[in-house]
Amino acid sequence: MNISGILVHANPGKVDAVSAALTEFQGLEIHAATDDGRLVVTLDCQDNNAAADTLIKMNGLDGVLTASLVYHNFEPETANENETGPVAVGLN
Amino acid sequence: MTLSRRDFIKTNAVAATAAAAGITLPGIKKADAADDIRWDKGVCRFCGTGCGVLVGTKAGRVVATQGDPDAPVNKGLNCIKGYFLSKIMYGEDRLTQPLLRMTDGKYDKNGEFTPISWDQAFNVMADKYKAAIKAKGPTSVGMFGSGQWTVWEGYAAAKFYKAGLRSNNIDPNARHCMASAVGAFMRAFGIDEPMGCYDDLEHADTFVLWGANMAEMHPILWSRLTDTRLTKKGAEVHVLSTFEHRCFELADNGMIFTPQTDLAILNYIANYIIQNDAVNWDFVNKHVNFTKTPTDIGYGLRPTHALEKKAKNAGKGKLSKIDFEEYKAAVAEYTLEKASEMSGVPAEKLERLAKAYADPKRKVASYWTMGFNQHTRGVWVNGLLYNVHLLTGKIAEPGNSPFSLTGQPSACGTAREVGTFAHRLPADLVVMKPKHREAAEKIWNLPAGTIPGKPGYHAVLQNRMLKDGKLNVYWVQCNNNMQAAPNMNEEGYPGYRNPENFIIVSDPYPTVTAMAADLILPTAMWMEKEGAYGNAERRTQFWRQQVKAPGEAKSDVWQIVEFSKYLKVEDVWPADLIAKKPEHAGKTLYQVLFANGEVDKFPLDQTAKGFDNAESADFGFYLQKGLFEEYRRFQFEGPKPGHEMAEFDIYHQARGLRWPVIDGKETLWRFREGYDPHVKAGEGVKFYGKPDGKANIIFAPYEPAAEAPDKEYDLWLSTGRVLEHWHSGSMTRRVPELHRAYPNAKLYMHRDDAKARGLKRGQEVKVQTRRGEVLTRVETRGRNRVPKGLVYMPWFDASQLVNKLTLDATDPLSKETDFKKCACKVVKA
Repeated sequence: MNISGILVHANPGKVDAVSAALTEFQGLEIHAATDDGRLVVTLDCQDNNAAADTLIKMNGLDGVLTASLVYHNFEPETANENETGPVAVGLN
Repeated sequence: MTLSRRDFIKTNAVAATAAAAGITLPGIKKADAADDIRWDKGVCRFCGTGCGVLVGTKAGRVVATQGDPDAPVNKGLNCIKGYFLSKIMYGEDRLTQPLLRMTDGKYDKNGEFTPISWDQAFNVMADKYKAAIKAKGPTSVGMFGSGQWTVWEGYAAAKFYKAGLRSNNIDPNARHCMASAVGAFMRAFGIDEPMGCYDDLEHADTFVLWGANMAEMHPILWSRLTDTRLTKKGAEVHVLSTFEHRCFELADNGMIFTPQTDLAILNYIANYIIQNDAVNWDFVNKHVNFTKTPTDIGYGLRPTHALEKKAKNAGKGKLSKIDFEEYKAAVAEYTLEKASEMSGVPAEKLERLAKAYADPKRKVASYWTMGFNQHTRGVWVNGLLYNVHLLTGKIAEPGNSPFSLTGQPSACGTAREVGTFAHRLPADLVVMKPKHREAAEKIWNLPAGTIPGKPGYHAVLQNRMLKDGKLNVYWVQCNNNMQAAPNMNEEGYPGYRNPENFIIVSDPYPTVTAMAADLILPTAMWMEKEGAYGNAERRTQFWRQQVKAPGEAKSDVWQIVEFSKYLKVEDVWPADLIAKKPEHAGKTLYQVLFANGEVDKFPLDQTAKGFDNAESADFGFYLQKGLFEEYRRFQFEGPKPGHEMAEFDIYHQARGLRWPVIDGKETLWRFREGYDPHVKAGEGVKFYGKPDGKANIIFAPYEPAAEAPDKEYDLWLSTGRVLEHWHSGSMTRRVPELHRAYPNAKLYMHRDDAKARGLKRGQEVKVQTRRGEVLTRVETRGRNRVPKGLVYMPWFDASQLVNKLTLDATDPLSKETDFKKCACKVVKA
């Protein structure tokens, strides 16, 4: 498992271009965007290398001011990983 | 609702990220309670920003991290290095047992590294220490420590050396990064560390970066600055550097200057302020003295070097008082035309910068790191910036803030505060002052005269003394100095491999330094021990041990305290000294320094329930608490007020507190009434580090660099860091992802310079200086865009050791190396 929550701060004038560039990355989802250029992003990669590469490339994208890591889980995969649960999650 | 583990984790990731962005997403909230991961607060292991990190452990292993949303420094964010935090402990080549160079079962300097027990290792060490001290006295033993040591590790090491072994030859790697900042604080204010804090990142209108690439080196502070720039009306950013880097993307006024001419630019700004009647006379008359510093002071090279022989006032720094008129006359020659011509910065850009400082309506925060500090006039240039802030009174209040950033997590909290420099004692005291030694000897219950009054060997001098055979037993902890120190070819390596010397290196990994040692001690790191760091804004932060160290690895503090059991007072102190305190006769250094009724007075049951504390369990008392509480006695009983901290237990609750902490209350802005409890009602501003309560404006002129390009070596060589790797890469280079992202160092070069030498991007080249050569590849694009005439090479790569090339020229006052300026040539490989 390798799941990251990343806050991308884009230059407010370039949010659309940044969003478009971000969605090119495999395993990346944009969950929300604010008017002042903040994007809530998750990255779900099987491959550790791909995750790191993406994070680094993200920092270098034109129009990205900062890409900050907020949450990172890399617990070992287990055979029954997807059977974990039931887990109470705060989804309404 | 049933969710897969993966969905569950992802939901948490979204919730945490949205919270950090300050937005609420419908239907998403975090579900900590149901998590089977144990979360606890920690501090990032990397730079000096001091970001709070929540550390998640499961089955004895760190499996998740999160930017701590309750941490005031980073408010839930981490930079890319945070991604690798929990992996740094799990490199495949972690060292797990002591290794001694041996042949046929015996120590041999040219032998192979062979596993031995801790007891064997300490016995060999004890023999070496005893023999050296007997033969040549305490100056023949030394230690090189770290701004990455925890607070109590540094404190224990300083006490072990200065009080136990009676040697001041202990110095931290912070000498390479912060010493010039310290020197300037002491000269201008009489007390170390910044007066302001990170809150200034929101309070200021104008931000000026002087030789700091915050975007790559302090990304979280940069994100706070970026926020202010984009959301506050009229906010602007000025960036000065000798090459273009990531920060220029946000710069309203980016300036590339010729190396060393920052001295001229700052004097021009002071001149502009005076010429345009922008001096804050009310502030200056009440709170400032005018002084000047001796000039032509040399370059901190060996005394036999031609440049040292030529210098009129080599190493001198005693200030003499002048009046305002003399100061005004001294800066008058630094006109806009002259500053522009010397620096190569267009006049209108310099004037725009000067205006920002001069405008009484704008709050200005200045930031700097290695560009200022690694400078043969580092103390001067730090001081010239204080001059500008003092002339305008833009200091020690929200938003007006000259702020020295730090590169290591505890360069402040440990290296600078607990007395690990060759001339210092805990809480800002120094060995040269009899009163300060007396205070330390009283608190430590030592006979009068135990602590030597002469400063020990500083970092660069240690390598020279190793080479010269005067320093013979040498212990390196928590840093990679063979790779980090300048002029490895001529000083560092010959020093370590000198047959007269015994070198001990404590590290989690087989670094370049460890491989050059005779004995390697495997070291527990970060969350494998209970720790405390102090960041750049005076914030002291604690964490608990989260996981066990692998194999027989032990923390630095355990190593020092345990080793002190192997030496007796009689082995290291003369009889007449022992006679002054007969109670110490026959005792081990462990009994005198650590099981002394102070450090061992907190019982084991005071450690946190449910968490390991490997050191305390071993010694039978709460070691970290005992060391910290004894250190606090220096803050409250010592002769210099202003460094007070809260009681130990409070830091395990708080997200750090900024000292001075009086009655549980932290201090955000020092020296100003209403913020700093040491400034009484009616005093307004008081620089209480100085006897008269006034700060020093110190005139210093432009003087050239130690080595500038000439006909043969025709380029400036500057070294530095990159975002993905931290310092020497001993931790980050082991993380495969990081290694892949930026596997090897490269030489950043202007494309015209490359073309003129017939070089193409990616081509292999030799970089040569008068001291050596290194193979690397040319990069003409990418994130660092250097001007013509300068090349830049990062130093993280152990396979391309750029410090074979650098010159060991130091600031003669701070003894900090100038890693930013020497002359090189680049040829086809």
